[in-house]
Amino acid sequence: MRSSRVLVRKHLLQHWVRSGLTVAAITLAMFLLCSVISIVTTLDRAVNSEATQRLVVQSAVSLFVNLPLGYQEKIVAVPGVEDVTVFQWFGGYFKEDEQPFAQFAVDHENFLHMYAKDMRVAEGPRGVTGDSALEAVQAAMNADRRAAIIGPDLARENNWKVGDTVPIIAKIFTKQDRSAWEFDIVGIYEPLKSNFDPRQMFFRFDYLRETLEAEGMVDDMGTGVYMVNLEATADPGLVSQAIDGLFENGPQRTKTATEAVFQSFFIAMLGNVPAFMGAIGGAIVFAVLFSVVNTMLMAGRQRRGEAGILKALGFSNACVARLLLYESLVLCLTGGALGIGIAALFEEPVRWAVGGALPGYTVEPSTLLLAVGVTLVVGVVAGIGPALGLGRLQPADALRSEA
Amino acid sequence: MNAMIEMQGVSKRYSRGNETLTVLDSLDFQVDAGDFVALMGPSGSGKSTILNIAGGLDRPDSGRVSVAGSDLGAMSSSALAPWRSVHIGFVFQSFNLMPVLTALENVMLPLLLTPLRSSERKKQAEFALDVVGLSDRMTHRPKQLSGGQEQRVAIARAIATDPDLILADEPTGDLDRESATSVMELLQRLNKEMGKTLVVVTHDPMVGELAQRTAHLDKGLLVDVTGEGP
Repeated sequence: MRSSRVLVRKHLLQHWVRSGLTVAAITLAMFLLCSVISIVTTLDRAVNSEATQRLVVQSAVSLFVNLPLGYQEKIVAVPGVEDVTVFQWFGGYFKEDEQPFAQFAVDHENFLHMYAKDMRVAEGPRGVTGDSALEAVQAAMNADRRAAIIGPDLARENNWKVGDTVPIIAKIFTKQDRSAWEFDIVGIYEPLKSNFDPRQMFFRFDYLRETLEAEGMVDDMGTGVYMVNLEATADPGLVSQAIDGLFENGPQRTKTATEAVFQSFFIAMLGNVPAFMGAIGGAIVFAVLFSVVNTMLMAGRQRRGEAGILKALGFSNACVARLLLYESLVLCLTGGALGIGIAALFEEPVRWAVGGALPGYTVEPSTLLLAVGVTLVVGVVAGIGPALGLGRLQPADALRSEA
Repeated sequence: MNAMIEMQGVSKRYSRGNETLTVLDSLDFQVDAGDFVALMGPSGSGKSTILNIAGGLDRPDSGRVSVAGSDLGAMSSSALAPWRSVHIGFVFQSFNLMPVLTALENVMLPLLLTPLRSSERKKQAEFALDVVGLSDRMTHRPKQLSGGQEQRVAIARAIATDPDLILADEPTGDLDRESATSVMELLQRLNKEMGKTLVVVTHDPMVGELAQRTAHLDKGLLVDVTGEGP
């Protein structure tokens, strides 16, 4: 209604500090809500998009207990298994520990082939790109014991190029003289899945093992987990049972699961993230609701006299009530639009900021729609009470409050 | 002469705690079309209550009220609102202008309820402001106007929809003598030249002298009516 537009605009501008602060609160709340929901949906997508045709074999005791290297041959022999690689967390850092990234020691002969659906080699030695990059990198990894392949974001952040030698300081696998491990970058990969971390380093497991053994730093080198690729027709459940059955009597019992299940276990180690995030999201919604309710209650009290004047002029009860409800909706939708817009626009910076902690951070359209819905609900809930109060007010009583 | 306001046996009581206050007590009161009536009496005598009941802002506890040919008791709250916009123009002691709106926007406010187009609403509001002598203050906000000017804007708002009846509650109460005289001359002109029926609640004897009739109230009873109708 035309009268509503004019009056709502004028009222909001009259108390511009109050309106501005309320809009700012809603903006921040909706940005946070979108971010929190996006963390949950990103984690969820990470679990669901992991390969079900890849198994992770870990110790039945704990992820932190290594498995013997001798298990690899036995696992490869299980019917339905296509290929196996060791997968050992290195846990080092470059220069400073404040920008951590993942490094894994892997079997260099088959790792690139096993992960062909997760990533592709984008650049190899001497500037080789395209289809021949994979062969060039494989050859370089076979030839160079210190060879490593890195993700594009890691290369960009540290200005690393193919051909560079980079020192990584170990926190777990320290050398005798505590010097840095040196790796020769022979290739840069490009993730093919949104949740495949673009800030990782993969290097030869035998470089790690042989160096530590030569220095007498380990007695019995093992691996944290084995990654097992299955044949297309293999049943992951049956193969998992078969693998765990092999090692039922030790020396280390194993727990085998698909990569998707492993990922969900891994996330669960952090606690019930979806429930925690849900609680934070709920708290944000209630905090902003209380803030807007407070604003609208103040506006409602201030408008009692004005409601009387409008009713004396012939405005209906419903029309007077609508004015305050529209005001609440305008505040919420303005703040909501800003918060939702910022969440969408800042997707890339947030993805960069969270880095490897949450690869593939994405603000889904469904998240934005949900935030729009929440904004509308907050606007209606906050405005309906004060609006009905003004609507029900008897004109003579309202005018007496103005006098 | 047709009756503009007819009140028969109107009573109104307010409860304050355990105490019941009788503001109007079986009041019979009539205002003819084109009349200029002043309602006088001590505070609490029921003057403003008569005005509120006649304007459909309040309802009596008993009795019959007919204004501009409509039986107000038979009308619902939702029917009274549009009825007011057509038949009644209110003028209040404290002007009751919207502080966020300019003089022109304030006068256009009741016209928003009419089917007029935007340009027609503006033209009519400009005409009303011209009638009250404020053509040069259209873009001013209330706080940029003097008390007398604010009351003139309020009068322009009251006549913008060309109502039959103007109800003014202490229209000179917040004004200095000069502004009060000017406002009352304006209201008198609306009565004489435009034929508006005018009911003014006042304590001011000057207003009483300008009115064609003066009704004196005390403790909710009509004790005296002086003067003759139009």
